[in-house]
Amino acid sequence: MIEIRGLYKSFGSLQVLRGIDLNVKDGEVVCIIGPSGSGKSTLLRSINLLETPTFGEIWIDGRLITPPDPYLHFDVIRASGTYAALMQGKDKNPGSDDDLAVINDIKKRDLLKESHEGRTYNKMLRQIEQENHMDAYATRQRIGMVFQHFNLFPHMTVLDNMLYAPMHVRKLSREAAEKKALELLASVGLMDKKDAYPATLSGGQKQRVAIARALAMEPEFLLFDEPTSALDPEMVKEVLEVIKNLVHAGISMVLVTHEMGFAREVADRICFLDEGVLMEDAPPDIFFSSPKSDRAKAFLEKVL
Amino acid sequence: MQFNFSILIPYLPQFGSALLVTLQVTVSALLLGILLAIPLSLCKILPVKPLQWLAAFYTSIFRGVPLMVQVFMIYFGIPLVTGLRFNAFQAGTLIFAMNSAAYLSESLRGGIKAIDKGQYEAAAALGVRYPGMMKDIIFPQAIKSVLPSIVNEFISLLKNTTLIASIGLVDILRVGQSVQTATYRAFEPFFFISVFYYMLVMLLSLLGKLLERQVNKSDRN
Repeated sequence: MIEIRGLYKSFGSLQVLRGIDLNVKDGEVVCIIGPSGSGKSTLLRSINLLETPTFGEIWIDGRLITPPDPYLHFDVIRASGTYAALMQGKDKNPGSDDDLAVINDIKKRDLLKESHEGRTYNKMLRQIEQENHMDAYATRQRIGMVFQHFNLFPHMTVLDNMLYAPMHVRKLSREAAEKKALELLASVGLMDKKDAYPATLSGGQKQRVAIARALAMEPEFLLFDEPTSALDPEMVKEVLEVIKNLVHAGISMVLVTHEMGFAREVADRICFLDEGVLMEDAPPDIFFSSPKSDRAKAFLEKVL
Repeated sequence: MQFNFSILIPYLPQFGSALLVTLQVTVSALLLGILLAIPLSLCKILPVKPLQWLAAFYTSIFRGVPLMVQVFMIYFGIPLVTGLRFNAFQAGTLIFAMNSAAYLSESLRGGIKAIDKGQYEAAAALGVRYPGMMKDIIFPQAIKSVLPSIVNEFISLLKNTTLIASIGLVDILRVGQSVQTATYRAFEPFFFISVFYYMLVMLLSLLGKLLERQVNKSDRN
């Protein structure tokens, strides 16, 4: 299960994600769609920490992969010096109007400063981190990723591309890794290319190898970042077929895609992102037939 | 003017052992230079400012001081200050290696910088840690783009090693000089040496091209 809470991401003064809340359950297929520049890729890349969120938390199977975000923990806010200062002479009962108003004010104005909040506050944050933290390397072993531009290692053969991480990261024996890799290569229909170098493959073949390479780590979730956008039109179908097979095999995945027909067919949920905000999160039937927001309506009119 | 190349015949064994010295210095300096260039280029790309300054300073020294002065410095100067003595072979090899490292680290840095960030991301997404990523994914690709520089460095090293004659090592040039002293003839020995170096360099260039083709086989369609 992937849980994204209050995710913000800024590049300098540019706010790319503005408060995303999103869950992906085991076995679920979620497609993220939206206009270009809406933050889709950034959201996806945050899930395996290729981007570091500015605020917010991401939990994978109950483990926290980002630093804890104090603004998401009311008890931590209540332990802060800032809260104590603002609450002077007010109703101190948790849940009271005063309490919630002050917490809201602190969140809105980004008032918490680590150096000023006192020991209890910092201790609570550290404790949350110690009890739940999972580092980026462990996270990435559980979450596979397929890129728009494949990013195969050009100096390795197809098979070596697939063996490298299982052998060096998971420390599998060559025999075990090779057995798995060959099974996967067969499943994407590229057994005859195992000794070829990536430069000799077509775009569609490269992407199928990239998918097999990600699967070789036996991830719990797969992330796809526009997997067909860099392909010639006649190769899109072969890659989508491979992804469809994975869907049928029950692998959890999050896809950023511009293939609306495909999204409609395979997704359990469609997430529509616009200007860094998650505008809609609905099953494909409902989203495509009756989108709630005007933004989504306008977007669908353009792409369908 | 009459040429008489037969005067060289008695000196051929000396030329032979001098060639061995030249090649020994060149090859050991090149290998040591490559070995030094790897950590040096790493210092240049790691986001640690003091390391970058240190590496830049190192490179600027070897660029800024004439090679002959560097050779004299390490052979005559340094021992007086530190008490550390090198024989001519060690001094020559060391200074040439440090020089090569300065130049090669620059092109290695360029080669690393030229690698698509998708390669880093793909490795990171598979859970690969930084040292393994550099060693197995990034460096092998960077080395390819550095291969022409390595061949060039090999060639200029081969020619620059004639400088070690100035600290008394008997290389090819030194044998030529002793032929000149003994026979009072200058054209034949130096012509012989010129042709010799020229052919050696041509041979190296050819080998370099073959090597490059071999390494680039993964890029061919």
